[in-house]
This record gives sequence, structure tokens and C-alpha cells, in this order.
Amino acid sequence: MLEEIREKVKSEFGLESEAYDTNMLLIECKKEQLRDLMKFLKSNGFNYPHTVSVVDYTPKGEGFQVNYILENLNDKKFVMVRVNLPEDNLSIPTVSDIFPPLQPHEREAWEMFGVEFIGNPRLEVMLLPEWAEGWFPLRKSYDFKKHRKPSKEKK
Amino acid sequence: MGNSISLAGYTFVVEETKEVSGEDLGLLQEKLLQLNWGVQHPASGPMRLKVWVDGDEVVKVDPDIGYVLRLLEKLVEYRTWQNAIVNVERACFIDNFGTMTGYSIAAEKIAGVEVPKKADYVRTILCEGGRIVSHLIGLGGFIGVLGVHTPMQWALIAREKFLDAFEVYSGQRIATASIVPGGVRYEPTGKFIEKMISAVDFLEKEFIPRYTEVFIDNPTLKLRSQGIGVVPKEKAVELGLAGPALRASGVASDVRKDYPYTAYGELDFRVVTKEEGDAYARYLVIWEELIESAKIIRQAIEGLPEGEWRTKFPIKVPPGEAYVNVEWARGCFGFHLISDGGTGPYRLKMRAPSFANLWAMPEMMKNVKLADVPVIFASLYMCHGDIDR
Repeated sequence: MLEEIREKVKSEFGLESEAYDTNMLLIECKKEQLRDLMKFLKSNGFNYPHTVSVVDYTPKGEGFQVNYILENLNDKKFVMVRVNLPEDNLSIPTVSDIFPPLQPHEREAWEMFGVEFIGNPRLEVMLLPEWAEGWFPLRKSYDFKKHRKPSKEKK
Repeated sequence: MGNSISLAGYTFVVEETKEVSGEDLGLLQEKLLQLNWGVQHPASGPMRLKVWVDGDEVVKVDPDIGYVLRLLEKLVEYRTWQNAIVNVERACFIDNFGTMTGYSIAAEKIAGVEVPKKADYVRTILCEGGRIVSHLIGLGGFIGVLGVHTPMQWALIAREKFLDAFEVYSGQRIATASIVPGGVRYEPTGKFIEKMISAVDFLEKEFIPRYTEVFIDNPTLKLRSQGIGVVPKEKAVELGLAGPALRASGVASDVRKDYPYTAYGELDFRVVTKEEGDAYARYLVIWEELIESAKIIRQAIEGLPEGEWRTKFPIKVPPGEAYVNVEWARGCFGFHLISDGGTGPYRLKMRAPSFANLWAMPEMMKNVKLADVPVIFASLYMCHGDIDR
């Protein structure tokens, strides 16, 4: 099943993919191809999206990585789509119209990492308080100490 | 502000002035009204639903979450591989074993550590114990929103027996921190097995018959929950429902069966599914899974092998990553764990089932009656710690 997808992705998009786990395939793609690839995967049975997982690799000098994890509920297989973003251009087209359940996941990724999902209808703060918009606390550069409340001095 | 009704695309339609006995009726003349369901509502927990109603009918629902945000995914990055379990288990304390198991399996996959068989069985026993504890509260809570608080008390009595067993095992009743990468933390003593068996005995012999008699085929309960919040099979996948809610719509998705982890591959159990997809079906799925879990615990205790229960887990784990799913009480919980070769996780993304269910809810609540909002909310079986993380 995954071998088939692998060959199809290779012939239609020219993308290399590798086995991530025993029942999971990892496809790396450019952000220009992302929407077409997601539509293709959805029509091939991967219709149950799990999450959008962003990884901050800036301390390693590699920018950000956006992972989309999709499941095929009939064949019990996974696929992970990976897009690498440079640090200075954190924007990526949304897939929330293709996979509506991913809309809040993209929103969370935006408020925690500052990755802008172009076309997402609702990029507002969700989990953070409104005054913390733009803090991006899950980034590696976020400094806990800077935002800590000053402790009261002992009398 | 998101609270403003006109910005959200709704306008107040003021009808022609009506006077009743010479008095202005004020608010009643506005067509749409925004209600706050929560944060102080007894059934909502620490979250708020903004509910716009037209008369008795719900027009739009918007959840306002983040009241119990602890940023666990960030806190994990400051811990070692072993210590991170204290943050992982607090995703939701009610079933803490499932999340710890998922994290541990992911860490073991990266490190290439194989756990002893005994640890797998003990994990299974604990996970199912956690599932029972969580499902009991789910059942009690579901009828609780309908205004009957007796089943919650009955459920808490049965839950107490399991908490006693956890206390004998780990010294803690709720946040046990008992499953670590490399196995389980303590030896499953005879006393623990004894307590677990007596808890399952109480559940099967006392709780289940009594509860079945009163709260399963209950006509009032059926009247309130049958045909409410119906989600057909295709719609459930499209909305991204998870766990018992997905299975109640007829999708047989259970990580324990599909991608067996720990000892589930060797045990015999069935995946509970229902076709109706309404609130009552979701309630019944939770109920039948409770009965299945009791059977799994008995099998796992019978098959408990001899030997070690923990192996060494390295302090530094080689670079790598893993995505692991576990069937947690409230659905499939995903862990995307990344190591950069350090002494702790580089990044952990937790995919929470309640988060998926929560954002499917506004679609399910369109055009229902206001009185059905708590019923649908409780039938989705969500945990707030899990939504906010």
C-alpha cells in the first residue's frame, strides 16, 4: 500500500520519500507543491488528519520544519508530509480547506511558533491570553526568565 | 474583539417596538443573543462556550479555551528523558497511564531499547485501569449534565477501588509517575495484583449489574440523548472526531487493535462500535468499553510473565524521531518526539483527541436546541487538561 503511494508520488510530483516507521511514510516537499500533494493524498484514502507538528531547528541553523501527519483509516497506514521553512520567510499555504480538522491545529502552530498559514480563515490567539499574542512561546529563542514576574523581595 | 457579535458576522435585528403593559421589553426584542456557557458552569469545566441563540435555537458556538494552559510541550524540553513523564502524565490526570506509555514507547523507539515482557503486561494492566477510571467519570458526568448526580457517586465508589490499587503500586492515587522509558518503575507486587483483582471484581459483580439496571436502558435518558448530535460515518471522519465519538459513528478505529502496542497484540478483546452516531451511542460505547477493559485486565493478570520489569535506559539518546499513537481513554493520543542527542527531549508534540473533538463540536451544535448543548458537550467526553495541554 505504502509502496504504491511512494511510486505515485515519485511519478506525479517527482518527490522522494522514505520509510519513517513500519507503517508510516515520510514525504518531503516544497511549499509550492504542498496543496497539490495534500489533495492527492486525500483522494488516495489518507482522509483522517492527525496534527500539524512544527519543529524549531533554528539553534541548529536549519529554520523551521512543518510536519503534517495523516492517517488512512481503512488500510491503517500513516503518511507524514514535511516542509522545511527558512527562518526569514515563515509562511506556508493553508490546507485547512482540504482538511477542515487541521484549521485549529494550524491556528495553534501560528500562535506558538509564528508560522503564518496563508489563507487560514482564523489566525487568532486561542490558548494564550490575548495580551501574549506574538510571544511565540514554543520557539527555542523564547526566554522564560524575560517574562517571569519579578518576585517580591523579602522584608 | 472576537466577542462582538457584529464582527462575527451577526447583527442584531431589532423588531418593531413591543410594549407589554406599557413596559419596554429591552433585550427580548433583540433577535440573536450571546450566552456564556461556562467558565463557571458546573458541567463545562474550565472553558467557555460562546453560544449565540435565536430564541431556543443555537445559531453558532465558539469555544474559548486556554484556561488551564500549562505549556507542557515547552516544559518537557527542560527535563531529562526520565523526568519528562511528570509533565506528560499531567496532560490529563484522570488517565495518566496512557500518556506515559505513549511517551515511553516513543523514547524507546528512538533509543532502540526493548522493554521486558513483564513491563509490557504491567503497562497493559495499568492502562486499562486508567481507562476504567476515566470512563467511570465520563459516564457519571454524562448523566450529571442531565441533572441526576447519583451515577457519579456510584462511579466514584467503583473508581476508589482502582485508585487504591494504584496507591499500593506507586504510592500515589492520581499522578502516579509509574511508567518510564525502559519499563515500569515498580515491581508489580502480589498485593497490587490482589487489589486490582478485587477492584475488577467489585466493578463486574457490584457496579455493572446495578448500573445496567438503572442507567443503561433508561427511558428518560434515551428521551434526552437519542437522536441528539447525530454524526454519520463519513461526517465523523470529515470532522476529525477521535476515540469513542468516532467509534460511535461506526468507524472501527482503535489503536490497540490497528497498531498493537505493549501486550494488546496477545490479548483477546473486541472494538466496540455503534452505528447510530448520536449522543446515546457515544454513551453506550464508553459503557461497553468499560466492560471490555475489565476483561483485558483479567487476561493480562493471568498472562503476567516472570522476570524483570525494567531495563536500563541511556542518559543520552541518539538523534532521531518517532511518531507513536496510543489508544488513550478519550481517543488516539499521538506523540511526535524528537531527540537531538541530548539528555532530554528536543521537542514533543502531543496530538490530543479532546482537542480534535472540541473543534468538531461547533459543527455538530448548529441548529440544535439550547438544552441539548450540555448533552452533546458531555457525550463528546472531553478533558480540559488535554485540550489546553
